[in-house]
This record gives sequence, C-alpha cells and structure tokens, in this order.
Amino acid sequence: MAQAFFTGFFGLAAIWFGVVVFRTSSMVRSALALLFSQAAIGAMFLAMQTEFLGVLQIMMMATEMAIMAIFMVMYMMDPGGLGGMDMTHQKRLSIAAGIFGGAAAVAVSLLGGWGTVGPSTMPEAQVAALGEELLGRSMLVFETAGITILTAMIAATAVAIERRR
Amino acid sequence: MATLLVALVAGAVLFGIGLYGALSQTNLVMIMMGVELMLGAAMVNLVAFWRFLHPAAYSGQMFVLIVMTVMALEMAVGFGVGTARFRSRGSVEMEEAEDLKG
Repeated sequence: MAQAFFTGFFGLAAIWFGVVVFRTSSMVRSALALLFSQAAIGAMFLAMQTEFLGVLQIMMMATEMAIMAIFMVMYMMDPGGLGGMDMTHQKRLSIAAGIFGGAAAVAVSLLGGWGTVGPSTMPEAQVAALGEELLGRSMLVFETAGITILTAMIAATAVAIERRR
Repeated sequence: MATLLVALVAGAVLFGIGLYGALSQTNLVMIMMGVELMLGAAMVNLVAFWRFLHPAAYSGQMFVLIVMTVMALEMAVGFGVGTARFRSRGSVEMEEAEDLKG
C-alpha cells in the first residue's frame, strides 16, 4: 500500500511539473520544471524498488536539464519570459491530440489484462543481475548504444561548428 | 497490482502532456522538452512492466537504459541543429524554419 502511495505521489508530482513546463512563459522555469518532473520520475523508479535506474535517472536528468537551461538562455531574446510572448501554435489540434493520446493510453492501462504480479528482488541482487545482463547477453546492445552516443556527439559538434570560409 | 496501475496511468498522462507540448510549441527547445516528457513516460511504463510483470528478465532494465541513451542523443543532436540554425538565422523558432522542408 505504501508503495502504491509513494508511486502515485511522485507520479502526480511528475505530472504537475510536466504541466508547469508548458504553462510558464519563462524558459528557465520551464527547464527547471522539466528537471523536477524527470526527478519525480526517478523517485517513482525508487518507489518501485528499481534503485539503480532511479539514481541514474535523477543524476542524468539533473545534468541534462541544467545544460538545457543554459541553451535556453543562450537562444532566447527573453529567457525570463518578462515579455509574456506566446510561443504556441495549432493549440486546438495539440490539446485534442494530447487528450486523445493520454486517454487512449489510460484506457489501455486500466482495461488491459496484465496477469499476476511477480515477486520483488533485493536491490543488491538487482544491480548484480543487471551488471551480468549488460556485460553478458546484452553486451552488443550496450556497446552499440555507447558507439551511437559517440557518433552523435561528433555529428552534433560537426553540425554546430562555424564553417570556415 | 495497484502500484502497476498507478504507474501506468501516471505514464499515460505524462505521455499526453508531452504530446501536447511537442505539437503545440514553436520553439525548438520546447519541442524537445515535450519529446523528453514522452520518453520519460515510456520509461515509467517500462520500469513498471519489468518490476511487476517480469522481475526476473533484466532485459526490461536494458530497454530503460536504451531510452535514456535516446534522450541523451536527442539532446545532443537537437542542440547541434539548434546552434547551427541560431548561427545562420538568429532564431530557433520553428515557425520560421519552413526552408528546412525538402
């Protein structure tokens, strides 16, 4: 029962901060709200006894959203949102798509037959088993993800760098 | 079972919010924020499915790591494109980016 409560509590926090991301006109507040939303998702992982991924999520998102806030300040004329500029378009379509997509996913969640819930595993056993999975059966996938990140870093730098004339 | 449903519903609502954001925003970084929320929702569902339905199959956690990788890639490539666009046009407003159409 406590697990359901904390998962729900952090889920509500993630949803609330997710809404705030698109409700505020300050870019910095948007980035911070997304950081809190993603951190709440990490806390949901912790509540669901997925310790390694929960900590990883909070650490990664803290860094990612800090970088995002810096880029927002760099790109925007008015990062504090003092001018109250509207930066949205096709609002009705977006609201309809969001409600329809969310409602369809909620319906599938509630109406799907999910079977029986399996037993929990201890956190230290989880980390050991995940390590064996990463360096055993899923090693190729793991290595491919690493190479893909490296490729994307080089490609992003090459795209962003100023061309010499 | 209650926790599984709570997590799935929270993930579904987050997905809807992310979808609204990705479709309604005109700024490149705000669009990326919508996509990040959708990927976050996918991760919540993956963790819930792994923890409550298949706790012995650790490939479920592998999927979450892959989604985290995709989030990092999206950020890197998105900011690379954003910086190139900002250099050439002085803005990352996507309403002014019709010249990117093929």
